[in-house]
Amino acid sequence: MHQARIANVYLPHSAVIREVIVENSLIKTFVTQFLDQDVNASFSYQPGQFVMVSIPHHGEAPISISSTPTRPGEMHLSVRVCGHLTTALHELGPGAVIGMRGPYGRPFPLAGLAGKNLLFVAGGIGLAPLRSVINYALDQGEKYGKKTILYGSRRPSDIAFRSDLSVWQERPDVACHLTVDEAQPGWDGHVGVVTTLWEQAEISFRETVALLCGPPVMIKFVLADLRRMGFPDEAVITTMERHMKCGVGICGHCHMDKTLICTDGPVFSAAELAGLHVF
Amino acid sequence: MNDKYILKKEYLIPFLRKLAKAYRLVAPVRTAQGDIILDAVTSVDQACFDFSGQTQNSAKSFLFPQQEVLFTYENGEGHYTFTPVLKEEPTIFFGLRSCDLSAILYMDVTFLQGAKDIYYLKRRENAVLITLGCNEPQSNCFCNATKGGPFLELGYDLQLTDLGDRYFVEPDRVKGVGLIRRWPQFFLPASPEDGKAQYQISLEARGVFKRQVHMDIAIKKIKNEGVDDTIWSELSMRCQDCGGCAYICPTCTCFSITDRELAPGRGERIRTWDACTFSGFSRMAGGHNPVDRNQYAVQRRFLHKLFYDVEKHGRPSCVGCGRCVGMCFGGVDIIRFIELVRRGGVRTPGIP
Repeated sequence: MHQARIANVYLPHSAVIREVIVENSLIKTFVTQFLDQDVNASFSYQPGQFVMVSIPHHGEAPISISSTPTRPGEMHLSVRVCGHLTTALHELGPGAVIGMRGPYGRPFPLAGLAGKNLLFVAGGIGLAPLRSVINYALDQGEKYGKKTILYGSRRPSDIAFRSDLSVWQERPDVACHLTVDEAQPGWDGHVGVVTTLWEQAEISFRETVALLCGPPVMIKFVLADLRRMGFPDEAVITTMERHMKCGVGICGHCHMDKTLICTDGPVFSAAELAGLHVF
Repeated sequence: MNDKYILKKEYLIPFLRKLAKAYRLVAPVRTAQGDIILDAVTSVDQACFDFSGQTQNSAKSFLFPQQEVLFTYENGEGHYTFTPVLKEEPTIFFGLRSCDLSAILYMDVTFLQGAKDIYYLKRRENAVLITLGCNEPQSNCFCNATKGGPFLELGYDLQLTDLGDRYFVEPDRVKGVGLIRRWPQFFLPASPEDGKAQYQISLEARGVFKRQVHMDIAIKKIKNEGVDDTIWSELSMRCQDCGGCAYICPTCTCFSITDRELAPGRGERIRTWDACTFSGFSRMAGGHNPVDRNQYAVQRRFLHKLFYDVEKHGRPSCVGCGRCVGMCFGGVDIIRFIELVRRGGVRTPGIP
């Protein structure tokens, strides 16, 4: 029976929501664990990968993993309310059981980043997959160089992942800069889109790899600026999303020209995206 | 494996009776309306072999059903469990055309080369494929241009060629050899003359294609020069968003997965055929669609078959069955696309 389950790529595993962290009015982080201890023991993932999440009667959707495998025992899914499934997921609380299968997709190329300075640029929910790789890098001690995090939100009240941000802001090996598009009373931080942080953050392309995730318009402008600063396309890495059904390279939905996001991505370098219909 | 046999036509029905006892038999059937379709037959008398051309449907739906339940689920307080639904049924496909066999070999790549799709795999493992080569290719056929027919060199379990009063029988895969070993009473060794007769017929068949489809030229031009945007916009404008081309196509395998609630505490997860030409195919939650439908509704479909798969697998994933030519009332079939690419653009108004 167990053998048969492993062989069927479409069968989810039952998983329980242990905790729900409200990140902002639209984003919640679901702390999950598989019900079957054997699955918990055998399930391993890398930053950048995603799982297909099932909710009864709502089908499945791909959700990127926002926790790091260096902190085993539970997996975090940070989800912004957007469509049917994410709306249904947001109604669930601790103790609710969902389905999960995976992990899928090509992760961030972490082995190749050793010794490099890491520049993370995120907008809104785009910090979810980067949170995984940021915490992964922080847990590896000296393996990576200087870590710079630039995080843009619409308004101060939209700033998500506050407990992570306060940890990052405290760490001496991390420079963490926040900005908002639109200030609210009480905000004395930076105002402006994330690309207005370059100067303050003292970005240099030397020995640096940039990892980006955010809305298409942010990616476009950040890519253009990084190119201007001298970043080669190979040193700019982003993660893509598409409508997806199978997650394993068969159903065809997540095509981006010749690539499938689920198996060729979701992580791509800017060099790999050149010439493709990205947005 | 290289032995060839003769199956006399008077032995065909007795042979099929044996097959039908041991397997579910899928064969061409003439419907009450006169259409020839591929269908499961309950009595071999229903099977129909005296027709030219192809069945209206391909074998796709027998290996990858238009709709199937992947698993059932039950959910409630603290539980959400999944029970796979997988019915195994040994099936003989008898009288498949070469294009449809070629399409199955292509589906094997899609469903089995990367992640293995167990639903397809089980049906495929349970399938025995007996083809009947095409002596008379029909008006929309162009398998000569795709190397998908009219006769094949390999991939079938048995290939039959109609030699008038007898069938020339070639086994390729072990399952085909097994059938001949199991029922040797129906088969005679083929003589060298039979072999020559088969060769003659396959040569003649290659000479009677009515359409000249320059697939190789189109594939080269797509790779080297790309496709003029006017071709995409013209064809996308003509596309009526019906999905007919993808449904009828023996190699189109895109699918959707949805839940069907049967009761508050249980339901089914269902897989259904989908089509990349549908406007909702790529639309994400929140409404953003990375594919501009007005301009590129049909781009995915044609480039997948004539460019991406050529790059990935060394061959196009169009087998030349011509069904989309008869299906599309907007005239957005693959032959028209190939012809537009060959000519290098759209001559508007009124492309011939």
